[in-house]
Amino acid sequence: MTPSTTVAPGRLLAQVAGERQTGALVVGGHPGGAVYVLEGRIIYAESAAAPGVGELLTASGRLAGRTWQHALDQGTATARVGRMLVEHGHLTQGELELCVLGATYDAAYFALAPPDAPVQFHGGVTHWLGPVVHIDPAAVAREVRRRAKMLDDIFPDPRVDTAVVTPIARPPRERITLTAPQWELLVHADGQRTPADLAFLLGKAGFATIQELRRLAAAGLLDLPDVRGKAPEFVRLPRSRGTAVDARRAHPRRDDSPTVPVVSGMRPAAPGPPAPDPPAPAPAPSALTEETSAHGTVYRPPRLARRKPGAKLPKEVAAEPPPPHPGTDEVLLKRIRTALRALR
Amino acid sequence: MAIPGAVGASIVDYTTGFPVATTGAAPNDDHEAAAAGTADVVQAANSRSLFVSAVPHDLLEDLIITTAGGYHLLRPVQTDFDSRLVLYVWLDRVLGNLAVARHRMQKLADDLVAT
Repeated sequence: MTPSTTVAPGRLLAQVAGERQTGALVVGGHPGGAVYVLEGRIIYAESAAAPGVGELLTASGRLAGRTWQHALDQGTATARVGRMLVEHGHLTQGELELCVLGATYDAAYFALAPPDAPVQFHGGVTHWLGPVVHIDPAAVAREVRRRAKMLDDIFPDPRVDTAVVTPIARPPRERITLTAPQWELLVHADGQRTPADLAFLLGKAGFATIQELRRLAAAGLLDLPDVRGKAPEFVRLPRSRGTAVDARRAHPRRDDSPTVPVVSGMRPAAPGPPAPDPPAPAPAPSALTEETSAHGTVYRPPRLARRKPGAKLPKEVAAEPPPPHPGTDEVLLKRIRTALRALR
Repeated sequence: MAIPGAVGASIVDYTTGFPVATTGAAPNDDHEAAAAGTADVVQAANSRSLFVSAVPHDLLEDLIITTAGGYHLLRPVQTDFDSRLVLYVWLDRVLGNLAVARHRMQKLADDLVAT
Protein backbone atom coordinates (compact mmCIF):
# COMPACT_ATOMS: atom_id res chain seq x y z
CA MET A 1 0.00 0.00 0.00
CA THR A 2 1.40 3.33 -0.97
CA PRO A 3 1.00 6.20 1.46
CA SER A 4 -1.77 8.60 0.60
CA THR A 5 -0.47 11.39 -1.56
CA THR A 6 -2.21 14.27 -3.21
CA VAL A 7 -1.55 13.90 -6.90
CA ALA A 8 -3.46 13.62 -10.14
CA PRO A 9 -5.23 10.24 -9.85
CA GLY A 10 -4.60 9.62 -13.54
CA ARG A 11 -0.83 9.86 -13.06
CA LEU A 12 -0.73 7.24 -10.34
CA LEU A 13 -3.01 5.04 -12.46
CA ALA A 14 -0.63 5.31 -15.41
CA GLN A 15 2.23 4.37 -13.10
CA VAL A 16 0.62 1.25 -11.61
CA ALA A 17 -0.61 0.26 -15.06
CA GLY A 18 2.91 0.59 -16.44
CA GLU A 19 4.19 -1.68 -13.68
CA ARG A 20 1.40 -4.17 -14.44
CA GLN A 21 0.29 -4.15 -10.84
CA THR A 22 -2.85 -5.62 -9.31
CA GLY A 23 -4.82 -3.69 -6.73
CA ALA A 24 -7.16 -0.83 -6.04
CA LEU A 25 -6.42 2.83 -6.67
CA VAL A 26 -8.50 4.65 -4.08
CA VAL A 27 -9.24 8.30 -4.73
CA GLY A 28 -10.38 10.42 -1.79
CA GLY A 29 -12.26 13.69 -1.79
CA HIS A 30 -15.72 14.21 -3.21
CA PRO A 31 -17.13 12.20 -4.81
CA GLY A 32 -13.97 10.08 -4.87
CA GLY A 33 -13.93 6.48 -5.97
CA ALA A 34 -11.79 3.48 -6.65
CA VAL A 35 -10.29 2.00 -9.79
CA TYR A 36 -9.44 -1.69 -9.73
CA VAL A 37 -6.57 -2.96 -11.84
CA LEU A 38 -5.59 -6.53 -12.59
CA GLU A 39 -2.07 -6.89 -13.95
CA GLY A 40 -2.14 -3.33 -15.19
CA ARG A 41 -5.56 -3.40 -16.83
CA ILE A 42 -8.71 -1.87 -15.43
CA ILE A 43 -11.37 -4.41 -14.47
CA TYR A 44 -13.82 -2.16 -12.61
CA ALA A 45 -14.28 1.26 -11.08
CA GLU A 46 -16.72 2.64 -8.58
CA SER A 47 -17.65 6.03 -7.25
CA ALA A 48 -20.25 7.48 -4.92
CA ALA A 49 -21.52 9.56 -7.85
CA ALA A 50 -21.93 6.67 -10.29
CA PRO A 51 -24.40 3.80 -9.86
CA GLY A 52 -22.56 0.48 -9.91
CA VAL A 53 -23.51 -2.69 -11.72
CA GLY A 54 -25.85 -3.74 -8.89
CA GLU A 55 -27.70 -0.44 -8.83
CA LEU A 56 -28.05 -0.35 -12.63
CA LEU A 57 -29.40 -3.88 -12.78
CA THR A 58 -31.81 -3.60 -9.85
CA ALA A 59 -33.06 -0.04 -10.37
CA SER A 60 -34.03 -0.94 -13.94
CA GLY A 61 -35.81 -4.06 -12.74
CA ARG A 62 -33.50 -6.28 -14.77
CA LEU A 63 -32.58 -8.20 -11.61
CA ALA A 64 -34.68 -8.56 -8.48
CA GLY A 65 -33.02 -7.14 -5.39
CA ARG A 66 -32.92 -10.53 -3.75
CA THR A 67 -31.26 -12.10 -6.80
CA TRP A 68 -28.50 -9.53 -6.64
CA GLN A 69 -28.21 -9.89 -2.89
CA HIS A 70 -27.96 -13.64 -3.20
CA ALA A 71 -25.16 -13.34 -5.76
CA LEU A 72 -23.36 -10.95 -3.41
CA ASP A 73 -23.77 -13.33 -0.47
CA GLN A 74 -22.43 -16.24 -2.46
CA GLY A 75 -19.77 -14.62 -4.57
CA THR A 76 -18.28 -11.68 -2.67
CA ALA A 77 -15.72 -13.62 -0.66
CA THR A 78 -14.32 -15.34 -3.73
CA ALA A 79 -14.72 -12.31 -6.03
CA ARG A 80 -16.95 -14.05 -8.55
CA VAL A 81 -20.27 -12.21 -8.25
CA GLY A 82 -20.37 -11.44 -11.99
CA ARG A 83 -19.60 -14.97 -13.11
CA MET A 84 -22.11 -16.35 -10.66
CA LEU A 85 -24.95 -14.28 -12.13
CA VAL A 86 -24.16 -15.62 -15.59
CA GLU A 87 -23.68 -19.21 -14.40
CA HIS A 88 -27.02 -19.19 -12.66
CA GLY A 89 -28.72 -17.85 -15.78
CA HIS A 90 -29.78 -14.52 -14.29
CA LEU A 91 -27.81 -12.48 -16.84
CA THR A 92 -26.26 -13.20 -20.20
CA GLN A 93 -22.54 -12.75 -20.66
CA GLY A 94 -23.27 -9.95 -23.14
CA GLU A 95 -25.44 -8.06 -20.69
CA LEU A 96 -22.87 -8.42 -17.93
CA GLU A 97 -20.03 -7.17 -20.14
CA LEU A 98 -21.97 -4.19 -21.47
CA CYS A 99 -23.16 -3.28 -17.99
CA VAL A 100 -19.68 -3.56 -16.45
CA LEU A 101 -18.10 -1.56 -19.29
CA GLY A 102 -20.62 1.23 -18.89
CA ALA A 103 -20.38 1.34 -15.10
CA THR A 104 -16.58 1.27 -15.19
CA TYR A 105 -16.17 4.17 -17.61
CA ASP A 106 -18.84 6.08 -15.69
CA ALA A 107 -17.21 5.69 -12.26
CA ALA A 108 -13.74 6.21 -13.73
CA TYR A 109 -14.80 9.67 -14.83
CA PHE A 110 -15.67 10.71 -11.28
CA ALA A 111 -12.64 9.02 -9.74
CA LEU A 112 -10.05 10.24 -12.23
CA ALA A 113 -11.32 13.63 -13.39
CA PRO A 114 -10.12 15.68 -10.38
CA PRO A 115 -6.77 17.29 -11.22
CA ASP A 116 -5.54 16.43 -7.73
CA ALA A 117 -6.92 14.37 -4.89
CA PRO A 118 -5.63 12.19 -2.07
CA VAL A 119 -4.76 8.93 -3.79
CA GLN A 120 -3.70 5.60 -2.37
CA PHE A 121 -2.83 2.34 -4.04
CA HIS A 122 -3.74 -0.86 -2.23
CA GLY A 123 -1.77 -3.67 -3.82
CA GLY A 124 -3.17 -7.19 -4.09
CA VAL A 125 -6.78 -6.13 -3.71
CA THR A 126 -9.45 -7.08 -6.19
CA HIS A 127 -13.13 -6.33 -6.59
CA TRP A 128 -15.88 -8.74 -5.53
CA LEU A 129 -17.45 -8.56 -8.96
CA GLY A 130 -14.49 -10.44 -10.42
CA PRO A 131 -12.76 -9.67 -13.71
CA VAL A 132 -15.38 -9.33 -16.46
CA VAL A 133 -13.71 -6.86 -18.81
CA HIS A 134 -10.08 -5.76 -19.15
CA ILE A 135 -9.72 -2.16 -20.27
CA ASP A 136 -6.59 -0.31 -21.29
CA PRO A 137 -5.99 2.39 -18.65
CA ALA A 138 -4.69 4.80 -21.29
CA ALA A 139 -8.02 4.57 -23.14
CA VAL A 140 -9.88 5.30 -19.92
CA ALA A 141 -7.65 8.27 -19.10
CA ARG A 142 -8.21 9.70 -22.59
CA GLU A 143 -11.93 9.22 -22.31
CA VAL A 144 -12.04 10.92 -18.89
CA ARG A 145 -10.40 14.02 -20.34
CA ARG A 146 -12.72 13.99 -23.32
CA ARG A 147 -15.79 13.75 -21.09
CA ALA A 148 -14.65 16.64 -18.92
CA LYS A 149 -14.28 18.79 -22.03
CA MET A 150 -17.65 17.63 -23.32
CA LEU A 151 -19.38 18.90 -20.18
CA ASP A 152 -17.66 22.26 -20.39
CA ASP A 153 -18.66 22.58 -24.03
CA ILE A 154 -22.31 22.19 -23.02
CA PHE A 155 -22.28 24.55 -20.05
CA PRO A 156 -19.02 25.43 -18.31
CA ASP A 157 -20.24 25.48 -14.71
CA PRO A 158 -19.27 22.51 -12.50
CA ARG A 159 -21.73 23.59 -9.79
CA VAL A 160 -24.39 21.78 -11.82
CA ASP A 161 -22.65 18.46 -11.17
CA THR A 162 -22.96 18.51 -7.40
CA ALA A 163 -25.56 21.08 -6.34
CA VAL A 164 -29.07 20.05 -5.34
CA VAL A 165 -31.13 20.01 -8.53
CA THR A 166 -33.66 22.83 -8.46
CA PRO A 167 -35.75 23.37 -11.58
CA ILE A 168 -36.76 26.97 -12.09
CA ALA A 169 -40.37 27.67 -11.23
CA ARG A 170 -41.24 29.47 -14.45
CA PRO A 171 -39.66 28.67 -17.80
CA PRO A 172 -37.82 31.55 -19.41
CA ARG A 173 -39.63 31.12 -22.73
CA GLU A 174 -43.10 30.42 -24.03
CA ARG A 175 -42.15 27.05 -25.35
CA ILE A 176 -39.52 24.58 -24.15
CA THR A 177 -38.51 21.18 -25.49
CA LEU A 178 -37.34 18.38 -23.24
CA THR A 179 -35.96 14.94 -24.04
CA ALA A 180 -37.31 11.94 -22.14
CA PRO A 181 -34.25 11.70 -19.84
CA GLN A 182 -34.53 15.42 -19.05
CA TRP A 183 -38.20 15.07 -18.22
CA GLU A 184 -37.41 12.18 -15.89
CA LEU A 185 -34.78 14.23 -14.09
CA LEU A 186 -37.02 17.26 -13.61
CA VAL A 187 -39.96 15.18 -12.42
CA HIS A 188 -37.80 13.52 -9.77
CA ALA A 189 -35.94 16.66 -8.71
CA ASP A 190 -37.65 17.38 -5.40
CA GLY A 191 -35.43 20.22 -4.26
CA GLN A 192 -33.42 17.84 -2.05
CA ARG A 193 -31.81 15.44 -4.45
CA THR A 194 -28.34 15.94 -5.84
CA PRO A 195 -27.38 14.72 -9.32
CA ALA A 196 -25.87 11.60 -7.72
CA ASP A 197 -29.12 10.93 -5.83
CA LEU A 198 -31.06 11.16 -9.08
CA ALA A 199 -28.64 8.88 -10.92
CA PHE A 200 -29.04 6.18 -8.24
CA LEU A 201 -32.78 6.65 -7.98
CA LEU A 202 -33.34 6.34 -11.71
CA GLY A 203 -30.61 3.78 -12.36
CA LYS A 204 -28.91 6.01 -14.94
CA ALA A 205 -25.21 6.57 -15.42
CA GLY A 206 -23.83 9.40 -13.30
CA PHE A 207 -22.12 11.07 -16.24
CA ALA A 208 -25.21 10.87 -18.45
CA THR A 209 -27.16 12.47 -15.61
CA ILE A 210 -24.89 15.46 -15.20
CA GLN A 211 -24.64 15.77 -18.97
CA GLU A 212 -28.42 16.21 -19.18
CA LEU A 213 -28.37 18.56 -16.19
CA ARG A 214 -25.75 20.75 -17.85
CA ARG A 215 -27.96 20.88 -20.93
CA LEU A 216 -30.90 21.90 -18.77
CA ALA A 217 -28.74 24.54 -17.10
CA ALA A 218 -27.62 25.81 -20.49
CA ALA A 219 -31.29 26.12 -21.47
CA GLY A 220 -31.88 28.20 -18.34
CA LEU A 221 -34.15 25.62 -16.73
CA LEU A 222 -32.18 25.07 -13.50
CA ASP A 223 -31.73 27.34 -10.53
CA LEU A 224 -28.08 27.44 -9.58
CA PRO A 225 -26.79 28.44 -6.16
CA ASP A 226 -25.58 32.04 -6.38
CA VAL A 227 -22.33 31.64 -4.54
CA ARG A 228 -20.16 28.65 -4.93
CA GLY A 229 -20.26 27.57 -1.31
CA LYS A 230 -18.25 24.83 0.25
CA ALA A 231 -19.95 22.48 -2.15
CA PRO A 232 -18.15 19.28 -1.19
CA GLU A 233 -19.50 19.49 2.37
CA PHE A 234 -23.01 19.28 1.06
CA VAL A 235 -22.55 16.47 -1.38
CA ARG A 236 -24.59 13.60 -0.10
CA LEU A 237 -23.06 10.25 -0.77
CA PRO A 238 -26.04 8.34 -1.94
CA ARG A 239 -25.31 4.86 -0.79
CA SER A 240 -22.76 2.70 0.89
CA ARG A 241 -20.42 1.10 -1.56
CA GLY A 242 -19.14 -2.41 -1.73
CA THR A 243 -15.76 -3.01 -0.30
CA ALA A 244 -12.80 -4.70 -1.85
CA VAL A 245 -11.80 -8.29 -1.45
CA ASP A 246 -8.25 -9.42 -0.92
CA ALA A 247 -7.23 -11.23 -4.07
CA ARG A 248 -4.97 -13.59 -2.19
CA ARG A 249 -7.62 -14.77 0.21
CA ALA A 250 -9.29 -17.78 -1.31
CA HIS A 251 -11.99 -18.68 1.20
CA PRO A 252 -14.54 -16.70 3.14
CA ARG A 253 -14.02 -16.50 6.87
CA ARG A 254 -17.01 -18.08 8.52
CA ASP A 255 -16.66 -16.22 11.79
CA ASP A 256 -17.34 -12.69 10.59
CA SER A 257 -20.61 -13.30 8.89
CA PRO A 258 -21.78 -9.80 7.85
CA THR A 259 -19.10 -9.40 5.22
CA VAL A 260 -21.49 -8.60 2.43
CA PRO A 261 -22.04 -5.01 1.45
CA VAL A 262 -25.66 -4.39 0.71
CA VAL A 263 -25.93 -2.67 -2.59
CA SER A 264 -29.41 -3.20 -3.78
CA GLY A 265 -31.51 -3.54 -0.67
CA MET A 266 -34.05 -1.03 0.47
CA ARG A 267 -31.67 -0.04 3.23
CA PRO A 268 -27.96 -0.45 3.32
CA ALA A 269 -27.47 -2.85 6.21
CA ALA A 270 -24.00 -3.69 7.42
CA PRO A 271 -21.38 -2.52 4.94
CA GLY A 272 -18.89 -4.91 6.43
CA PRO A 273 -15.29 -4.67 5.34
CA PRO A 274 -13.88 -8.06 4.40
CA ALA A 275 -10.62 -6.55 3.24
CA PRO A 276 -7.87 -5.42 5.54
CA ASP A 277 -7.84 -2.04 3.84
CA PRO A 278 -11.40 -1.14 2.98
CA PRO A 279 -10.85 1.44 0.30
CA ALA A 280 -14.43 2.44 -0.34
CA PRO A 281 -15.24 5.88 0.99
CA ALA A 282 -17.52 5.53 3.98
CA PRO A 283 -20.75 7.46 3.59
CA ALA A 284 -21.30 10.36 5.91
CA PRO A 285 -23.49 9.31 8.85
CA SER A 286 -26.24 11.63 7.73
CA ALA A 287 -26.21 10.09 4.27
CA LEU A 288 -27.92 6.98 5.53
CA THR A 289 -31.02 8.67 6.83
CA GLU A 290 -31.36 10.84 3.81
CA GLU A 291 -30.81 7.82 1.71
CA THR A 292 -33.65 6.06 3.45
CA SER A 293 -36.01 8.92 2.92
CA ALA A 294 -34.95 9.09 -0.69
CA HIS A 295 -35.90 5.47 -0.96
CA GLY A 296 -39.33 5.98 0.44
CA THR A 297 -40.25 6.99 -3.07
CA VAL A 298 -38.08 4.58 -5.00
CA TYR A 299 -38.81 4.74 -8.68
CA ARG A 300 -39.37 1.29 -10.10
CA PRO A 301 -39.98 1.01 -13.79
CA PRO A 302 -42.21 -1.87 -14.88
CA ARG A 303 -40.44 -5.13 -14.32
CA LEU A 304 -39.30 -6.85 -17.46
CA ALA A 305 -39.35 -10.53 -18.12
CA ARG A 306 -36.35 -12.28 -16.67
CA ARG A 307 -34.58 -15.25 -18.11
CA LYS A 308 -35.44 -18.52 -16.42
CA PRO A 309 -32.64 -19.53 -14.09
CA GLY A 310 -30.46 -22.08 -15.75
CA ALA A 311 -31.95 -21.53 -19.17
CA LYS A 312 -29.63 -21.37 -22.17
CA LEU A 313 -26.47 -21.76 -20.18
CA PRO A 314 -23.57 -22.18 -22.59
CA LYS A 315 -21.09 -24.90 -21.75
CA GLU A 316 -18.11 -22.57 -21.72
CA VAL A 317 -19.31 -20.48 -18.81
CA ALA A 318 -19.50 -23.48 -16.53
CA ALA A 319 -15.82 -24.15 -17.07
CA GLU A 320 -12.92 -22.73 -15.09
CA PRO A 321 -12.27 -18.97 -15.28
CA PRO A 322 -11.02 -17.96 -18.69
CA PRO A 323 -7.48 -16.61 -18.93
CA PRO A 324 -7.18 -12.83 -18.79
CA HIS A 325 -7.74 -11.23 -22.15
CA PRO A 326 -4.84 -9.30 -23.57
CA GLY A 327 -6.84 -6.83 -25.63
CA THR A 328 -9.29 -4.09 -24.84
CA ASP A 329 -12.80 -5.47 -24.35
CA GLU A 330 -11.65 -8.55 -26.17
CA VAL A 331 -14.71 -10.65 -25.46
CA LEU A 332 -17.01 -8.06 -26.92
CA LEU A 333 -14.82 -7.71 -29.96
CA LYS A 334 -15.01 -11.40 -30.64
CA ARG A 335 -18.73 -11.11 -31.17
CA ILE A 336 -18.41 -8.38 -33.74
CA ARG A 337 -15.58 -10.17 -35.45
CA THR A 338 -17.75 -13.24 -35.83
CA ALA A 339 -20.27 -11.07 -37.59
CA LEU A 340 -17.72 -9.64 -39.94
CA ARG A 341 -16.03 -12.90 -40.84
CA ALA A 342 -16.88 -12.43 -44.51
CA LEU A 343 -14.43 -9.57 -44.63
CA ARG A 344 -11.37 -11.66 -43.85
CA MET B 1 -23.48 -15.01 -39.03
CA ALA B 2 -21.60 -12.65 -41.26
CA ILE B 3 -22.42 -9.33 -42.83
CA PRO B 4 -21.21 -9.37 -46.44
CA GLY B 5 -19.32 -6.26 -47.45
CA ALA B 6 -18.71 -5.02 -43.92
CA VAL B 7 -15.61 -2.86 -43.67
CA GLY B 8 -15.72 -2.11 -39.97
CA ALA B 9 -17.95 -1.93 -36.97
CA SER B 10 -18.13 -0.57 -33.47
CA ILE B 11 -20.36 -0.37 -30.43
CA VAL B 12 -20.78 3.25 -29.44
CA ASP B 13 -22.07 4.84 -26.25
CA TYR B 14 -24.23 7.50 -27.86
CA THR B 15 -24.50 9.78 -24.85
CA THR B 16 -20.75 10.27 -24.78
CA GLY B 17 -19.76 9.37 -28.33
CA PHE B 18 -17.27 6.82 -27.06
CA PRO B 19 -16.57 3.54 -28.90
CA VAL B 20 -16.65 0.83 -26.23
CA ALA B 21 -15.60 -1.80 -28.79
CA THR B 22 -14.29 -1.53 -32.33
CA THR B 23 -13.21 -3.85 -35.11
CA GLY B 24 -12.07 -3.49 -38.70
CA ALA B 25 -11.64 -0.11 -40.34
CA ALA B 26 -13.31 3.20 -39.62
CA PRO B 27 -13.85 6.19 -41.88
CA ASN B 28 -10.54 8.12 -41.98
CA ASP B 29 -9.07 5.34 -39.82
CA ASP B 30 -10.43 7.07 -36.76
CA HIS B 31 -12.86 5.02 -34.69
CA GLU B 32 -13.14 7.71 -32.05
CA ALA B 33 -14.14 10.39 -34.53
CA ALA B 34 -16.57 7.97 -36.15
CA ALA B 35 -18.09 7.26 -32.74
CA ALA B 36 -18.47 10.95 -31.98
CA GLY B 37 -20.21 11.43 -35.32
CA THR B 38 -22.40 8.41 -34.69
CA ALA B 39 -23.46 9.86 -31.36
CA ASP B 40 -24.35 13.19 -32.96
CA VAL B 41 -26.54 11.51 -35.55
CA VAL B 42 -28.32 9.31 -33.00
CA GLN B 43 -28.86 12.27 -30.67
CA ALA B 44 -30.26 14.33 -33.50
CA ALA B 45 -32.64 11.57 -34.53
CA ASN B 46 -33.67 10.79 -30.97
CA SER B 47 -34.05 14.24 -29.54
CA ARG B 48 -34.56 16.67 -32.35
CA SER B 49 -36.51 14.93 -35.04
CA LEU B 50 -40.22 14.44 -35.06
CA PHE B 51 -40.02 11.09 -36.83
CA VAL B 52 -39.16 9.01 -33.81
CA SER B 53 -41.71 10.60 -31.54
CA ALA B 54 -44.78 10.63 -33.75
CA VAL B 55 -46.41 7.70 -31.97
CA PRO B 56 -45.85 6.62 -28.34
CA HIS B 57 -43.33 3.77 -27.99
CA ASP B 58 -42.36 4.15 -31.64
CA LEU B 59 -38.68 3.84 -30.86
CA LEU B 60 -35.75 4.41 -33.16
CA GLU B 61 -34.84 1.17 -34.90
CA ASP B 62 -32.28 1.85 -37.64
CA LEU B 63 -30.49 4.83 -39.05
CA ILE B 64 -29.08 4.33 -42.52
CA ILE B 65 -26.85 6.82 -44.25
CA THR B 66 -25.91 6.07 -47.83
CA THR B 67 -23.01 7.67 -49.62
CA ALA B 68 -21.64 7.12 -53.10
CA GLY B 69 -19.08 4.68 -51.74
CA GLY B 70 -20.78 3.00 -48.82
CA TYR B 71 -23.57 2.43 -46.39
CA HIS B 72 -23.46 3.41 -42.73
CA LEU B 73 -25.91 1.55 -40.53
CA LEU B 74 -26.74 2.43 -36.95
CA ARG B 75 -28.90 0.35 -34.69
CA PRO B 76 -29.56 0.90 -30.98
CA VAL B 77 -28.72 -2.05 -28.77
CA GLN B 78 -31.67 -2.55 -26.45
CA THR B 79 -30.82 -3.55 -22.90
CA ASP B 80 -33.16 -3.69 -19.93
CA PHE B 81 -30.74 -1.62 -17.87
CA ASP B 82 -29.49 1.86 -18.74
CA SER B 83 -26.75 1.53 -21.36
CA ARG B 84 -27.44 3.82 -24.36
CA LEU B 85 -25.44 1.83 -26.91
CA VAL B 86 -25.66 1.81 -30.66
CA LEU B 87 -24.14 -0.67 -33.08
CA TYR B 88 -22.43 0.94 -36.06
CA VAL B 89 -21.51 -0.99 -39.21
CA TRP B 90 -19.76 0.45 -42.25
CA LEU B 91 -20.52 -1.41 -45.49
CA ASP B 92 -18.85 -1.30 -48.85
CA ARG B 93 -21.34 -0.01 -51.41
CA VAL B 94 -20.45 -2.58 -54.08
CA LEU B 95 -19.96 -5.66 -51.88
CA GLY B 96 -22.65 -4.88 -49.38
CA ASN B 97 -26.34 -5.62 -49.63
CA LEU B 98 -28.37 -3.20 -47.60
CA ALA B 99 -31.33 -5.50 -46.98
CA VAL B 100 -29.17 -8.43 -45.93
CA ALA B 101 -26.97 -6.22 -43.78
CA ARG B 102 -29.92 -4.67 -42.04
CA HIS B 103 -31.40 -8.06 -41.28
CA ARG B 104 -28.11 -9.48 -39.97
CA MET B 105 -27.45 -6.39 -37.94
CA GLN B 106 -30.75 -6.74 -36.19
CA LYS B 107 -29.78 -10.25 -35.16
CA LEU B 108 -26.31 -9.12 -34.15
CA ALA B 109 -27.66 -6.34 -31.94
CA ASP B 110 -30.05 -8.79 -30.30
CA ASP B 111 -27.37 -11.44 -29.86
CA LEU B 112 -25.02 -8.99 -28.16
CA VAL B 113 -27.46 -8.89 -25.30
CA ALA B 114 -29.11 -12.29 -25.56
CA THR B 115 -25.95 -14.39 -25.36
